Amino acid sequence: MTSQLIEITEADIAEERARNPGAFAAPLRERMKAWMAWVAATALTLFCLHRFGFLSGDFLHGVAKFGDTVISQMFPPTGYESLGMFLKAIGETVAMALLGTLLGAVVALPLSFLAAKNMTRSRPIQFGTRRGADLLRSFDYLIWALIFVRAVGLGPLAGIMAIAIVEIGTFIKLYSEAIENLDRKQIDGVTSLGGNGMHRIWFGVLPQVLPMMLSNTLYMFEHNVRSASILGIVGAGGIGFLLGDRLRAYELREACLIIILVVLTVYAIDYLSKFLREQLIGDHKRREPIDDAVQV
Amino acid sequence: MALKIEKLSKAFGDLVAVNDVSFDVPAGQMIGIIGRSGAGKSTLLRMINRLADPTSGRILVEGVFDAPVDVAKLKGKRLRQWRAQCAMVFQQFNLVPRLTVMTNVLMARISYHPTLRSLLLLFTPKDRAFTIRALQRLDMVSHALHRADELSGGQQQRVAIARALVQEPKILLADEPIASLDLRNATIVMDALRRINREDGITVICNLHLLQTAKDYCDRIIGMRKGEIVFDGKPSDLSDAMAREIYGVGEHGAGEPADDDVELAFTATQTSTSAAAEPGHEKVAKVG
Amino acid sequence: MVTNPNAGPDVSVARGVVARFEKQYAVYRRKKQVTMALFGGVFALCVIAALITTKFSLWTLVEGIPRASEFLARMLPPIRLGTFGQDFSAWYWGAGEWFNSLLNTLLMAYLATILGTLIGGAISFFAARNLAHNYLVYWIARRVLEIARTVPDIVWALLFVFAFGIGPVAGVLAITTHTLGAQGKLFAEVNENISPLPLDGIRASGGNWFHEMRFGVLPQVLPNYLSYTFWRFELNVRSATIVGFVGAGGIGHDLFTAVQLLYFADVGAILLIIVATIMAIDMLSEKIRHSAIGKASFSH
Repeated sequence: MTSQLIEITEADIAEERARNPGAFAAPLRERMKAWMAWVAATALTLFCLHRFGFLSGDFLHGVAKFGDTVISQMFPPTGYESLGMFLKAIGETVAMALLGTLLGAVVALPLSFLAAKNMTRSRPIQFGTRRGADLLRSFDYLIWALIFVRAVGLGPLAGIMAIAIVEIGTFIKLYSEAIENLDRKQIDGVTSLGGNGMHRIWFGVLPQVLPMMLSNTLYMFEHNVRSASILGIVGAGGIGFLLGDRLRAYELREACLIIILVVLTVYAIDYLSKFLREQLIGDHKRREPIDDAVQV
Repeated sequence: MALKIEKLSKAFGDLVAVNDVSFDVPAGQMIGIIGRSGAGKSTLLRMINRLADPTSGRILVEGVFDAPVDVAKLKGKRLRQWRAQCAMVFQQFNLVPRLTVMTNVLMARISYHPTLRSLLLLFTPKDRAFTIRALQRLDMVSHALHRADELSGGQQQRVAIARALVQEPKILLADEPIASLDLRNATIVMDALRRINREDGITVICNLHLLQTAKDYCDRIIGMRKGEIVFDGKPSDLSDAMAREIYGVGEHGAGEPADDDVELAFTATQTSTSAAAEPGHEKVAKVG
Repeated sequence: MVTNPNAGPDVSVARGVVARFEKQYAVYRRKKQVTMALFGGVFALCVIAALITTKFSLWTLVEGIPRASEFLARMLPPIRLGTFGQDFSAWYWGAGEWFNSLLNTLLMAYLATILGTLIGGAISFFAARNLAHNYLVYWIARRVLEIARTVPDIVWALLFVFAFGIGPVAGVLAITTHTLGAQGKLFAEVNENISPLPLDGIRASGGNWFHEMRFGVLPQVLPNYLSYTFWRFELNVRSATIVGFVGAGGIGHDLFTAVQLLYFADVGAILLIIVATIMAIDMLSEKIRHSAIGKASFSH
């Protein structure tokens, strides 16, 4: 019995290798596959770096410039005399997020029943609603804002509409998934008592999905405060307008103050929303699927 | 290699887990440490391997480094060298679930190679052949390319023992190696430890919950209670009265039911002995 | 009324219990109603305040509808079946430039995902409570991730454009920064959920910190890392379509110019490219995610 490594001879190694080739190296095919994946990913990364000019001296120059003329120009933040105006704009931002989310939720609620497999018998309608929702979601808020600014003019209304449109898409997806996961028995119970379609939804479906929907809606509101804070950059109202204005005018210290205010607002709203979710629905832990569904 | 534990203590805040423990471990012994859970057995072993740092006391080692060394004071590379020489087997096996059995056992060689080499899994063919031989001894070669989390508890523990062997240790610490296993697997694992002790001359210190297992397998038994050694001697010298004291029976009022712990330690005695007579026992004994 | 004399006391006890229950239930219901009314009232006030703040008017919205539909109509120029080829190529007159921008957009998203994930992943080991040994390092790592994530990517883009000029470099850096913050936070959470047992096993075999991370942590977290990374790539493609609004490269620049110059047909054409790309990427990524992560083996 060999109990010491030093006693292992070349002959032993050859013997074991012949008996257990897999223990010495993975099959060639697998190794090639893994190797090619690594090479491809690295090559593409290098190609990107080269194509965008990360590998040139200009990039290093830019790094130096970022330190010298951007970061150092931001501190200390100034512009406290405009604080009142900034806070008003932040209020407008939160208001945009609130109305946009609400509008999106109200429109999406009935549509989400159409998009739920267990509520809509017609496959084309169900599938079409889902794809329509995907279509609305696939454009960023900022793209919608850019378009709505042209349609309804500069100001918060364009921002509200942008948020509402994206949220209609998101809420149709989230709500209809919640509806599809509900417990069939409770609806059957209502049917057995002689309830019609409306009764089934009102007494069988809504009580089950409402807590989940409320929680999702609050979570999206929280998320939309972040989104709303930048919509002003393309003219759709809120604090983003002032931020973009200060940045384009190279007033970095004031811009810095605005960024700090935005970050504080986002934190405050996060806490408020978490508190409300706990109070209203006892939703202590964040739901992973929701985190997955939206950009954090 | 000889080990000398001197006045070793470990406190977690106000709680003293191990209190002023001293004993000698001559080379080649198989020692069983018994006691109730919470008696400080686990902490003691973890201090010897230095997964836990002693609050005070010394762990003197001769015959591992070029000069006698106090393990309690080791740091950095020398500490890792000590750990490689002092293999450990755990109650929960502590394998990496998503890695294959082969890779898990090869992990035993990480301290013998430069870090970068081992991080890239560039082990030598010699390491690999040795690993297979070790798996062979524990009858686990057929599982070499399976993922560790696909194995049963008993199989995982055998892989863990193979890993310990591939470390080429001078001493093997086993922290409740059979507490999570059924009787058949417990027997296989204890037999393997015994064989390693006899055939390779590796010192084995084994924490055991069950008195009878310790009596069946060990040359020497150390009884611990509330962090202190209350018995240290041959299994034949361990009287029933002493065993009762170690497990703290009789401390409760007459009407009170005995502690679950104690119940388990004593009732399992019979089952453990009967398991040793099962046919499975002999079959396993032939392995290796 | 016929009563069983023996049952007398029982019934009265039962009645007492019922009465007490009814009373408690009434109090509970009243409390709940008051809370709900309070929440509802506050919520209504908030909505009213929001309507006033934003000067929300349905009238403006209704007025905007014909303009929006005209907008929409002009985005889709007439394409007749008979002259489909000509009409289509006339619509997509800028195809060469747009598809080049689209390629840039995708490459920007790819590069930013790779860089942001690598940096965020590295930081996540210091930002996980169970892996960081030094509290100061942990605190700093957490704050860095928080700032990178909370400042919107478009704001990072504006800042980077100052230093790196107009072009994709600023966009890549902006998305990278946001990505490293988001990935770092998610990865840190994954790291905090690992089982510590394998780490003990590796340490007991003489492994150092790097061994513990490589063999103890990485195999446990890699599947989650991969799935988060694919998902992040999907989000980053969306981000890469908008950073161009502020000059940070990609197709957003073409879209922004077209909107500013009121080239409606171009806007329609570009939007169609974007939506097709995003839907294709989402589907592809989901497919890869399901097939690759399911059978991924990290043993050799």
